[in-house]
Amino acid sequence: MRRLGVLILLALSFGFAQKVHLMWSGAITGPTSDAGKYYAQGVEDYCKYANEEGLTGGLTIVCETRDDQYNNANTQRNFEEALERGDPAFLGYSTGGTLQLKPLIQEVGMTYIPASYHIGNIDPPNNDYVFLPIVSYSEQVIALLEYIAKEKPGAKVALAVHPSPFGRAPVPDAKKAAKELGIEIVEVQEMAKGLDYTATLKRFANKGVEYIVYQNVAGPVATMIKDAKRLGLNIKHAAAHYAGGPDLLRLAGDAAEGVIWVTSYYMPYEDAPGAELVKKLGKRYNRPADTLESVHYPSGMLAAAIAIEAIKRAHAAGKPVTGDAGRAAVYAEMLKLGFDPGLAVGPVTYTKDDHVGVDHMRVLEAKGGKFVPITEPFQSKLFRKVHYGK
Amino acid sequence: MRNPWAETGNYKTSYRQDTAIFATYLEMLSLWALVALLLVLPFFLKRPQVFVLDLILVYSLAVLGLNITTGYAGLINIGQAAFVGVGAYTAALLAPSLPFWLTVPIGGLAGAVAGGIVGIPSLRIKHLYLAIATLAFQIIFEWTVGHSTILKQGGAIAMPRVEFLGYKVGYKNHYYFWYYVILLVVVLLAFAFRNLLRTRYGRALVAVRDNDRAADAMGMHPGLTKIFAFALGGFYAGVAGALYAYLSRAVVIEDYMLPVSIKFLAMAIVGGLGSIVGSFLGPAFLVLLDLNMEDLANWLKSLGLSYAGVDIASAMRPLTFGLVIVLFLIFEPRGLANWWRLVRNFFRNWPFKY
Repeated sequence: MRRLGVLILLALSFGFAQKVHLMWSGAITGPTSDAGKYYAQGVEDYCKYANEEGLTGGLTIVCETRDDQYNNANTQRNFEEALERGDPAFLGYSTGGTLQLKPLIQEVGMTYIPASYHIGNIDPPNNDYVFLPIVSYSEQVIALLEYIAKEKPGAKVALAVHPSPFGRAPVPDAKKAAKELGIEIVEVQEMAKGLDYTATLKRFANKGVEYIVYQNVAGPVATMIKDAKRLGLNIKHAAAHYAGGPDLLRLAGDAAEGVIWVTSYYMPYEDAPGAELVKKLGKRYNRPADTLESVHYPSGMLAAAIAIEAIKRAHAAGKPVTGDAGRAAVYAEMLKLGFDPGLAVGPVTYTKDDHVGVDHMRVLEAKGGKFVPITEPFQSKLFRKVHYGK
Repeated sequence: MRNPWAETGNYKTSYRQDTAIFATYLEMLSLWALVALLLVLPFFLKRPQVFVLDLILVYSLAVLGLNITTGYAGLINIGQAAFVGVGAYTAALLAPSLPFWLTVPIGGLAGAVAGGIVGIPSLRIKHLYLAIATLAFQIIFEWTVGHSTILKQGGAIAMPRVEFLGYKVGYKNHYYFWYYVILLVVVLLAFAFRNLLRTRYGRALVAVRDNDRAADAMGMHPGLTKIFAFALGGFYAGVAGALYAYLSRAVVIEDYMLPVSIKFLAMAIVGGLGSIVGSFLGPAFLVLLDLNMEDLANWLKSLGLSYAGVDIASAMRPLTFGLVIVLFLIFEPRGLANWWRLVRNFFRNWPFKY
């Protein structure tokens, strides 16, 4: 009888658990949706998992993934709806959408976690409330240059970047870092929709380029890598987070062999708690194999985990977690957040002056159709010096 | 003597009556009733809903500009988003030092200058070739913004918060304030264009569209008329861009790229090319359709309608957008404006069917 009473009490308490809404707005269709759809699934699945496993501190987190079709006006509308509803935090997506929303984010004081790791998201002005889950694109590119400088001192490098703020952001820092490292950036080439990069690659070869560093998306990188293989060029390829990964392997096939890639996430086939979690959630929620293979699935999980942890801690501290006060409470928790969900190669830590969650990354190399780590987790030595001057 | 309030057909006895802005008193009354409704509408809506209204009005202005160039003057323009962008970036650069009531018209003038320049090729080329020239402008615009440090290489240029008569516009009243500003601008510019159509300059647009050689023979200057059409369309686009810059609080290149130009063209086609009413109906229809499809897609998604990794629910929105355009092109090339005309005629003749 007592057991039945406890069960009823538990059921009632679950039924009456305070609901907190958390919205993600990103591209499930449209440009970059090849990443966005997996990211959305990561958000959805981690949210369900957190509720089911009691990782929410007695709250019920209602996650909602909205397809903004990579359209900034849709992102803005979704953000306004979340704000109107009293959501304490918001999960964003694109570089453009985040940059555009920054003045509003600053004005309303909403914690904002984008999928874009553009350094401008957390640089002034209006940067108090934006938090990157992992290291910025700029830091990733500099880390690749540091690796190249170690592997081949004085190497000649070309940067192949996306023709957008997303692609261009790391270029000034990369140039400064290259000078410090004693390597030469011989050309910065913008590329996105080319069907054939023979001319570009021949030019690179004539200039003696030994490495191409990509800050791009996987599609154009795959085309260039395949063209380089076809031409028989002895050039190594190095990709930042969104330029590489399993998507690149799928698109480039054999040509991707030997490509190096920098990211903060574990691969699903590694022996790591985060990789196990990816497999577990994928199986539990019937995700297809391509979801489990994608690096964007754990990326979405990490973003959701960060927001949920901050909401949980604010609630545990007896503070409200919705409305104006909720936003302030969650933001206060973000500024002292430190935890390790295991999805990336380091813990998530934030302070008032550090809005980068996971500060570490690894270099991986494509071997036998898989990306395998070839370094231990590390931080860029030069990034802070070249970007912040300290 | 006929009663002007109970007019049920066209009884025009003078050229002056034929060019009147309102054909009947009832028409005038219904339009003012609509404006009155639009004035009170935000009081019944939440902030995100008012934002949707703002968007529809801004898009309408941009589509009206496109209609001037493409619908009325017959000059195909697939770079309208770039003209909108010219206005937006002009406003963004001037906003720190000038009030919005100056930056918005200056944004329009910048759009007009860009339109005038882009219109120069129309002196020699037309049809598909001209379309490619406007596409070239779109690409040049994107490239220029992407490589200009003053324009943050396409990254965000934040717009300052606006103060008007001591009234500070914050996030709670942002969309309401801009709704009324945009509504005022839209009403003024729509009336201005309607009025222009009654003048020889307006009629010249249509004459040049229908047959530029005949227009030339009748004493019009087809070349200047085409440049005028581009400049005027650019002005409307520039004003729309400046308003959108304030509305979205920041100017980012992605809002002014080729897919947005295609969207404007789709809105113009669905609304009805060469129609002022269509310039409003097209944006309203496509924006509201997308919202409703989003709700439907979310509902289908909640039912778990997905097979072998194909997310049917997510695919619905882009699919519907494409399908609607194709269906309109096949079954109603005159767009929603024609439906509006049929409904209006029905009530104009009602209850006498003649």
